[in-house]
Amino acid sequence: MAIITVDGREINVKDDALLIDELLANDVSVPHFCYHPALGKDGNCRMCMVEIEGQKRPQIACDTPVKDGMIIRTQSENIARVKRQMLELELVNHPIDCPICDQAGECSLQNFYMEAGLYDSRVDIAKNKKQKHVDLGANVILDQERCVLCTRCVRFTSNITKTHELGVVVRNDHSFISTFPGIKLSNPYAMNVIDLCPVGALTSKDFRFTQRVWFLKPQEAICDGCSRGCSLLVDHNREKYKDDLIYRYRPKHNDAVNGYFICDYGRLNYKKENDNRLKFAYIRGMESEFEYATLKLERLLKRYNSKALLLISPTLSLEEIYRLKKLSQKLDLDINSFDENFDESFGDDMLRQNDKTPNRRAIELQGIESSKEDLQKKLKDKDFVLLINRADVDMIKDLGYDGSIGVLSSSDFLHKDKLDIIIPVASHTQRDGTFINCDDFIQYSKCQIKRDIESIKILDLVEGILNDGVSTCEAVWDSGLKEENFLKDINFNDVRFNSIKIELK
Amino acid sequence: MIKKIVSKNFDIKDSHKLKVARENDRYSSLKKLFSMSPEAVLDEVDKSGLRGKGGGGASAGAKWKLIPNPSDKPTYLIVNADESEPGTFKDRQILEYDPHLLIEGIICSSYAIKSNHAYIYIRGEYVFWAKRLQTAIDEAYEAGILGDNVLGYDYKLEVTLHRGAGAYICGEKSALVESLEGKRGHPRLKPKQKEPEWFFDCPSVVNNVETISSVPFIIKEGFEAYRAYGTEKNPGTMLFGMSGHIKNPGIYELEFGTNMLEFINKIGGGMRDGKKLKALVPGGSSCHVLKADELEGITLDYESLKAHGSSLGTGGMILMDETVFMPKVVKNLFEFYHHESCGQCTPCREGVSWSDKLMGKILDGNGTKKDLDTLLSLSFLLNGKSICVFAPSVAFIIDSYINKFKDEFYSLVK
Ligand SMILES: Cc1cc2nc3c(=O)[nH]c(=O)nc-3n(C[C@H](O)[C@H](O)[C@H](O)COP(=O)(O)O)c2cc1C
Ligand code: SF4
Ligand code: SF4
Ligand code: FES
Repeated sequence: MAIITVDGREINVKDDALLIDELLANDVSVPHFCYHPALGKDGNCRMCMVEIEGQKRPQIACDTPVKDGMIIRTQSENIARVKRQMLELELVNHPIDCPICDQAGECSLQNFYMEAGLYDSRVDIAKNKKQKHVDLGANVILDQERCVLCTRCVRFTSNITKTHELGVVVRNDHSFISTFPGIKLSNPYAMNVIDLCPVGALTSKDFRFTQRVWFLKPQEAICDGCSRGCSLLVDHNREKYKDDLIYRYRPKHNDAVNGYFICDYGRLNYKKENDNRLKFAYIRGMESEFEYATLKLERLLKRYNSKALLLISPTLSLEEIYRLKKLSQKLDLDINSFDENFDESFGDDMLRQNDKTPNRRAIELQGIESSKEDLQKKLKDKDFVLLINRADVDMIKDLGYDGSIGVLSSSDFLHKDKLDIIIPVASHTQRDGTFINCDDFIQYSKCQIKRDIESIKILDLVEGILNDGVSTCEAVWDSGLKEENFLKDINFNDVRFNSIKIELK
Repeated sequence: MIKKIVSKNFDIKDSHKLKVARENDRYSSLKKLFSMSPEAVLDEVDKSGLRGKGGGGASAGAKWKLIPNPSDKPTYLIVNADESEPGTFKDRQILEYDPHLLIEGIICSSYAIKSNHAYIYIRGEYVFWAKRLQTAIDEAYEAGILGDNVLGYDYKLEVTLHRGAGAYICGEKSALVESLEGKRGHPRLKPKQKEPEWFFDCPSVVNNVETISSVPFIIKEGFEAYRAYGTEKNPGTMLFGMSGHIKNPGIYELEFGTNMLEFINKIGGGMRDGKKLKALVPGGSSCHVLKADELEGITLDYESLKAHGSSLGTGGMILMDETVFMPKVVKNLFEFYHHESCGQCTPCREGVSWSDKLMGKILDGNGTKKDLDTLLSLSFLLNGKSICVFAPSVAFIIDSYINKFKDEFYSLVK
């Protein structure tokens, strides 16, 4: 522990911590471009300068370890001038094309200008011309004119992915970012450079020109792309005359799980939430009234009892799994969760896992059978199988099953006419729930976007049948989930805000 | 006035050839060297007060002492032969006329820091000199002066010559090391305390060609012999250069502390064609310019030049006569610094380029007083806010030329 004084205010800081980290953590404004906690210091932008008592010259906060008793000034006239003039220099060759720039609204240059700039331009010389549309690969488009040469993108590919696709070429104000000859940006995490880029130099081919960012409403979610369960920000917006759609996923900083990054597969996985959605309920291939279909499903389950099997998916939330288990007990239904959603080529030593479902661990911990043998055995005497949050009808047919089939799914699929009942359910970002990741972190996915297309949440569906008033996640925990052995010392309220490691006793 | 230590063999025919070099004392310090311990050698150099001749004037001994002894990693000597500072052409003379002196110095210095591998980073444009030096290195290897057993002694030394790709900034020691590691020549952030350079994470020393070439004399004759020349704080000699409108341009080895005007007039022969001296930069273009009437009493040493508002730098003096129009000089310098800024840090990358463009606008007759004010205000960020001391040089140019020759600059603007 050390105490430093910043602009007259005393702050407790960690010994040997970087000054910039401590200043930012204590809400002291420090404009900066090149420093990033995941990439470390580089000291090239020179924006983060502060005055340190006893030092003749201003120092960069990103390269200053704190010392007990340090006296820091971030607001003196000298520092204000440094920031103002440094910004002015950043803008000498910058095109200032904010009106057509996707970064506008979340741009460090804009923000710092409003905070520390606000001068009248003195620049009346011709600006350097550079390439405004370079396809770097991996959905990343570079505008060299907007680049402030902070090298965050370069350092990401050299320090984090170690794929070394990017570099700075040419000297002085003619420098620009480029891939090396014959190479494209191509690694499974490449699109993180778009978030890292403090300005509009790197934009997403997928997102650019679709929305102005200030219209987007971010909600927090857990990625369902694999069993890592990275923390996400889901940016969505309801435009006039349109449904509430998701325009992009971004990583949400979470040191317990994903740090500052997510993989490109997960990032683009938002599309399944918007597109190819199942829009209607069907009974024997005919579009059906929604309520009629749910009542029909209830009747089917109650009629078949032990002749019915719930085939559940590891994409379901912990609460959903718990309630379906309860349902199976109450109505004497069989249950299994066999699923082959593994991809041996997907996992790596950064974030991605071969298991491409987010909650297999929760199924395991609730003691639900997931073996193929068990499924095969159970299928033998069944007359009705309900696939929940999945539509792999062919899989059970391949196992020799030819009885009635029902499907609860959020995505559309083929050959619906052959099935007895189909009901659209809320997709991943339409309902909240908790997920247990590959490292036993239990995490809450909060995002609940309200869509126009009709669908039902599985918790509501089950409540409709059990009629016990338990339909929110919190109610599910209170109804008995929290008594589960693996949740003994954990309460729902903590999970809502943090990733918590479950301890198995 | 002239004292030949480093330049002793410059005028001898074929002095760059090993045979001639050996006849003229080259490698004669090694017998004594190997009779001493590395620690004693380092101590000798430290006591000699030898100062770096690459521009900064740092104590060589103090720098070498930063190498951990013993070191658990290999140590390296890196010789800076990037010589690209405008007005500076002294290292080139050593490489051309006495490359074996440099190799001898490398052996002495490497031995002192217990290094078994030395690198020489030579300026890319020095094609002739790179060839000449490589020939000398090859000769030395063949004669057993370099290699597994230096001159039969139990000491191994490899020397590798590495050519730069033509970047002034690669003369800055940390950029040089980055470049030598195969990376872009970007200067590193200054360490918080004194420490060696790190070449592939191994403790290393970077020294100028002339600094290293001064070592054999110190070893052979002893530190007191070296200290017999120069001043208390500036012992020994240095290769001073004169270029520009001077009658006898060239490189001359002088004791530190020599009177500058005497040097210019007696050895330099005064200005060409009977013209008057208008101004000079004392040690490469990165120093503050001095007007002719500011030279009285200046002696050629670090302290005197500092006291007179400039610096000794590389000792490469550029002299300008009365026909010179200062705004054009400044534009010429700006073009050089603009071209050579590594582009890493904002103040330099954008500030130098803006300065250059503003000066162009002013010289084209389109400038206003406001443009000059803008230019003067840029020196605030160029000075002391950048990663390396490249940018401050440009601030010195802006400040010293515009303030000392105000009329010439303001005559150009509306
Ligand atoms: C922009 C810049 C260029 C430099 N160029 C050279 C050079 O060409 N040769 C050189 O010896 N030192 C050069 N230096 C100085 C080196 O950084 C370093 O101080 C020197 O090589 C150390 O050697 P010395 O102590 O023997 O002088 C340069 C410094 C800067 C900032
Ligand atoms: S493209 Fe963006 S991240 Fe990369 S150097 Fe330029 S401003 Fe920085
Ligand atoms: S001051 Fe200039 S040369 Fe030095 S690091 Fe910055 S940009 Fe490069
Ligand atoms: S953030 Fe400190 S120099 Fe860029």
